[in-house]
Formats: sequence, structure tokens, C-alpha cells
Amino acid sequence: MSLLEKFAPLAELRGALAASGSVPSIATPMDEVLSATEAVIDGRKVLLAGTNNYLGLTFDPECQAAAIKAVQTLGTGTTGSRMASGNYAGHRALEREFAEAFGWPAGIVFSTGYQANLGSISALAGQGEYLLIDADSHASIHDACRLSLATTIRFRHNDPENLARRLERLGEDAKRTLVVVESLYSVLGDRAPLKELVDAAQRHGAMIIVDEAHSFGMYGPKGLGICAELGLLDKVDFVVGTFSKSIGGVGGFCVSRHREFELLRLGSRPYIFTASPPPPVIAAARAALQRLLKGDDLRAQLWRNIERFTAAVTRLGYRTGSKDPGPVTALVFDERATAIAHWQGLLDAGIYTNLMVPPATPAGLNIVRISLSAAHSDAQISRMIEAFEALAKRLRPAA
Amino acid sequence: MVESADRVERVVREALKIACPDIGTVTGSTHLSSELGLDSAQVMDMIMEIEDRLDISIPVAAIAEAHTLDDLCASVRRVAAGS
Repeated sequence: MSLLEKFAPLAELRGALAASGSVPSIATPMDEVLSATEAVIDGRKVLLAGTNNYLGLTFDPECQAAAIKAVQTLGTGTTGSRMASGNYAGHRALEREFAEAFGWPAGIVFSTGYQANLGSISALAGQGEYLLIDADSHASIHDACRLSLATTIRFRHNDPENLARRLERLGEDAKRTLVVVESLYSVLGDRAPLKELVDAAQRHGAMIIVDEAHSFGMYGPKGLGICAELGLLDKVDFVVGTFSKSIGGVGGFCVSRHREFELLRLGSRPYIFTASPPPPVIAAARAALQRLLKGDDLRAQLWRNIERFTAAVTRLGYRTGSKDPGPVTALVFDERATAIAHWQGLLDAGIYTNLMVPPATPAGLNIVRISLSAAHSDAQISRMIEAFEALAKRLRPAA
Repeated sequence: MVESADRVERVVREALKIACPDIGTVTGSTHLSSELGLDSAQVMDMIMEIEDRLDISIPVAAIAEAHTLDDLCASVRRVAAGS
């Protein structure tokens, strides 16, 4: 068998997902992006309800202006690692600004959100140490575990008792353990029981890192996330996040209440052996962070949109992946064909969403995921609701 | 903790039945993914069931090379013997 033959089942899956229409549901080609909420797909203008642009900052005038100015003054890229020639004033300032926002002494910026997990987790836990990770962790966390030389053990999704049991089994080794959880899981949109998870880690002397990729910017005071919302910043050891959701760019960060975290710069391979983020990316991220911290207006609009939309899909009888309304609404279907029919029906109505099917989903679920944005106008939310009302008449929602 | 070989195999088979309720005849050499069609998520759910029933924690790396039922039972026995 050649090296490439093993990919044949993936070709079959791609074919099955594409069978329903002319536009593929995975890697959907965007011909043009018109705004934070509109794009052109297959020659038609569509409403975007399947991005992670939760605060709509990709087209924020101040962020755009900051990026343009940085390109003009500092160039398009750094062409070097942070350990070499790519350590600009903007990178250092952004790290300070993130750390100060949390009131913590240490912060590191990574080139992507994926690398933020990869670089932090793989360096924090090494040989002879342990990583206890939630079973439904993002791929970046699983890959970080593979890069780390630590022993990786999974615990049941969002189950603090299961975590505690595994920590008990480790005995004294629990003190050499990093617990890894996400505050909001992006596939189903479900929140972690963070207080209980943090308590279990603390009781056994383990450290805990919380990935706030899908909650930073949307929850808590100043949008600092769910740890801040729950008053856990004096108990959580590390918070990791991304620039490619609420910040509207690309990159990632990890902040810590432990000053020694700064030393990871000398031991984290994904931090050391890659080019640092380009100046316009850093400049836009700095502007976005200030915008996000400045006021609650964007969050207020986002939560208004969430409340309206969630109430509508619930009224129409759709099954959702989480009881907690949030920026991610996962509509769950037993049959893949029903999920595909909904995704296609929405696209036909001019609304782009995400289709997610096994094995990329937990518990074999078929999901149509809708991500809302503060940039969605009241009229756009109405349009989404009308599309679902029409679709629900044609397709049985919970089938 | 030392688990008997019989108990480990019984627990593994029970966990397999939960992960794959419509399962037919399974021998020790049955391949979990290519023959039973279990995807990686189903295998990991099955491992969690085994962990709970035997009260052990199975490192992810310990079952990385377990492709058949016999492989899996052998991996679980090694972990159980060491815990």
C-alpha cells in the first residue's frame, strides 16, 4: 500500500459531504469577504453565521488603521523568531498589556492560538510529569500532549469527580500534574464546571491551565473570560487564548500568575522555532484588545443577539448541544443527512454556518453550528430566525 | 493492583459492547478500527469505561499500539499490574 492510499476514506467522506449541493461544506470557498458579517460564496452574497468573529473586530476601523500603519512603518513580516530578530517593541507591549489586563506578572504571545496551547502545555509538563486533560479537548491540546514527554491521561468531559479520582490515583505525583481544560467547548458550546475543576486540582496540589479561546472577550468583567467571571483568577495558574476569535486576527497568548512562566521562552519549542507574528497582526491585536477592554457595548449587543436567536431555535424545537446560551449554538441531529439538509437549506437561504460530523464531533453527533457576532444587526438576526422558521416547516428539527 | 487476565478481558469486552452495541462475534485478533469500524473517539470512550470499571488510569500512550482486542487486553493488564 502506498503512503497515500490510507487517505481514501477521507476522499469518500469529502464526497459524501459535498453530495448535497455545489458548495462544499468543508473548506467552503469564500470568493470575497465584504464585512464582518457578509461574504460572497459561489457568486452569491451570504450572511456569515459560521465564523468565530464574535465581536466583529475584523473590520473595526481602529484595528484596520493600526495594521496599515504597522505595515507602512515596520513592514509586512519579522522574518525571524522571537529568540532572534523577531522580537519587536509591539510584541513585548502586547504581552505586557495582556498580563496587566489579568493583573498577573507574566504573559507570552505565540504566533497562533494552536501554538499557544502547543507551546505552553508541552513545555509546562515534561518527562516524569503528568497531563490530565478533558476527554473532549481541542486538537491543539491533544497535539501538545504528543509533543510533551509527560504522561497523558484523559478524564471524562466536564466531570470534576472523574478528574478528582484520577488525581487521587496519582497520589504524590498529582503535585507534578498539569490539569488542562477549556472554559467553553466550541463544538457543542457547553461550559465547563470551572469552580469544581479548579477545586479538584487545588485539593490535590496540581496546577491548572484554562483555554479561554471561545470565551475571552465575551464573558466576565472587561471580557476577560469565564475564569474572571467566576472570580477564579487567584486560583487558576494559566489562562490561554487566541487572537483568531474575539480579537479578530491571528495569534495566541498565555498569561500566568506565576512570574516563572516567563522562562518558558527558553524552553518552549513552538515559541522558539517559528517566526514571530508580523507587525500588522500585532498592531491590530493591540488595538482590538484595547477596544475589547474599553467598554461592554460590543458584549451587550452580542448577548442581545444570543438571547433572541437562542429563544427562536428553542421555540422551533431544535435540540442544542448546551443548555447554556452562548456565542456558539450547536444544533444536534441524530442523522448526518438531516444535518447536511439543514446546512444546505440555510446556505440556499443565504446563510453560511458550519457543518460538523463524526469523527470530528463528540459522541458521534451531527451538528450544524451557528456562531453569532456583535456585528450582526437586529435585521440580520431576524433574517436568520426567518430562515430557520422556513426550514423547520420543511425538515423536522429534532429528527 | 493485580487484575486477573479473565477479569480484564471481560471488562474490555463489556466496554466494547457499550461502545459498539450491535457488535457480532469478536475474537482476540479482531481489529478494532478496520473490522469493527470504531473511530478514535469511540475507542477513547471505551478506554474510559475500562478505566472506571477497573479503577485505573490508562495513559494515552499505553494504548497507542493496541489495534486488536488482544493488544488492548495486554495493554490494560500491563497498566493494571503497574498501578
